[in-house]
Amino acid sequence: MSDEIKSGGKVPPGEPTVERSAAPMWIIVVTLTLLFIGGLYLDSHGGWFNPQVYSPYNSAERLEAFQPRSGAADVAAQGKRSYEAVCGVCHGSDGAGKPGQAPPLAGSEWVVAKGDNRLVHIPLQGLAGTLTVKGQDWNLNMAAMGIALSDADLAAVLTYMRTSWGNKAGEVTPDEVKKIRDAMGGHAQPLTGDDLKKMPE
Amino acid sequence: MKNGLTVFLAAFVALGASWFGFVYGALEQLGGQKQTVVLQSTDNWPPQRTGEATLGLQVYKKYGCAACHTEQVRQTDAANEVVLTSLGDHSAQDFRDFIQSLMIVPELMPASNTIVANLAAWKGDLPETVYAGDDNTVVSTLASKLKTVKVKAETRVVPIGPDLQRGWGMRQSVAADYLYDQPVQLGDLRAGPDLSLIGVRAPDMVWHLQHLYAPQSILKGSTMPAFRTLFEVRKKIGGQASPDALVLPQQFAPADGLEVVPTVEARELAAYLVSLKANQPLYEAPFTTANAAK
Repeated sequence: MSDEIKSGGKVPPGEPTVERSAAPMWIIVVTLTLLFIGGLYLDSHGGWFNPQVYSPYNSAERLEAFQPRSGAADVAAQGKRSYEAVCGVCHGSDGAGKPGQAPPLAGSEWVVAKGDNRLVHIPLQGLAGTLTVKGQDWNLNMAAMGIALSDADLAAVLTYMRTSWGNKAGEVTPDEVKKIRDAMGGHAQPLTGDDLKKMPE
Repeated sequence: MKNGLTVFLAAFVALGASWFGFVYGALEQLGGQKQTVVLQSTDNWPPQRTGEATLGLQVYKKYGCAACHTEQVRQTDAANEVVLTSLGDHSAQDFRDFIQSLMIVPELMPASNTIVANLAAWKGDLPETVYAGDDNTVVSTLASKLKTVKVKAETRVVPIGPDLQRGWGMRQSVAADYLYDQPVQLGDLRAGPDLSLIGVRAPDMVWHLQHLYAPQSILKGSTMPAFRTLFEVRKKIGGQASPDALVLPQQFAPADGLEVVPTVEARELAAYLVSLKANQPLYEAPFTTANAAK
């Protein structure tokens, strides 16, 4: 320090000096190449930071391809889940209904009917007025609880109703639900017992 | 300092970027973990621990179990499989010919070489893996084609990895598994085995208590230290052994007239160990439940 001051900032002859110079081109090229390769790697292995994707599954699609599909069991589980979330509060998780709240579904003639046309209409339109279930009159209102469910979900719920608690009726397919939903055209009025009886089964 | 502001800003950006990556990024990604649903079931995962087992986690931490044991199972790969379980009244050659005739189905084309090679050396032993690989379309197509002829086949999702081969897990560990662990005891050294599935592999609390008191009495040559402090060696009251006293082999048993009784901490730790059961398939770590221990 003190030398510098004495010499008035002048560099003594023979000392090395530093010059400003541009970064070499190859470093820039190598850095950009590494960044690019890293980007490609992240793209193919990162799963886009999806919290459900863990290595060795490197993307949501690959994880989806490894979901076990055993058809019937899967639909039943889905149906049970949605039933307990949407319907079970009033109709009971055992399908026995609750006095003053909702009629039973277990053994109900409306649920186990030969065709499922009437049954699909009920959650899509709701009910008003008197409905006879298992010989008992129920004078209650039901909102269109199924309107927010997807076709597949609603079909799974209805299939679950038709095949649980001793009920033994055929399954409801998402296509049937879609057909009926489309035919309604978004103008859903609550059904009465008489309306239901006028419908084909 | 001429460049004080620049140095400060550079340091701030460098530290800030790593904080964003390691702390904030991780929190955004996994901070919202909730109970999930077990695949093809309505059960929630993970189940809430009993009070005793929750306290046991603190005992696990206190005695430093995580220094030698991990609670994280790794998985290196997974396979979709179609496994032939019954031929009905067909012969093996019939089946091979039938598979050969299927190879013109467009969905099966990408896997046809693998499938034919799998069956080339097959003598008719069951069960036989017809296809094992990535492709879900191949599996579902093959399964539906096999359904049309009268043979029985299963589709399976099989996780693969050394940890799983050792029987330490049924699937890899995922963040949801640790939802009720405070603090999480991941561990990073495996002087002992991984414990993610110990509640399934050794479901008996008495086994755990004896193992904690004298590991070598159960596994000869075990390097695990004995946790004698978790037990009380006391005089048999009125000459009668307590119902909780450990039944030990001669070599490890205390002197006559004494008995070994687990303390509250020992019970809590054993309850915690029995509660470690990562045996359910989840969306993020699927496997076929047919293989699951119930």
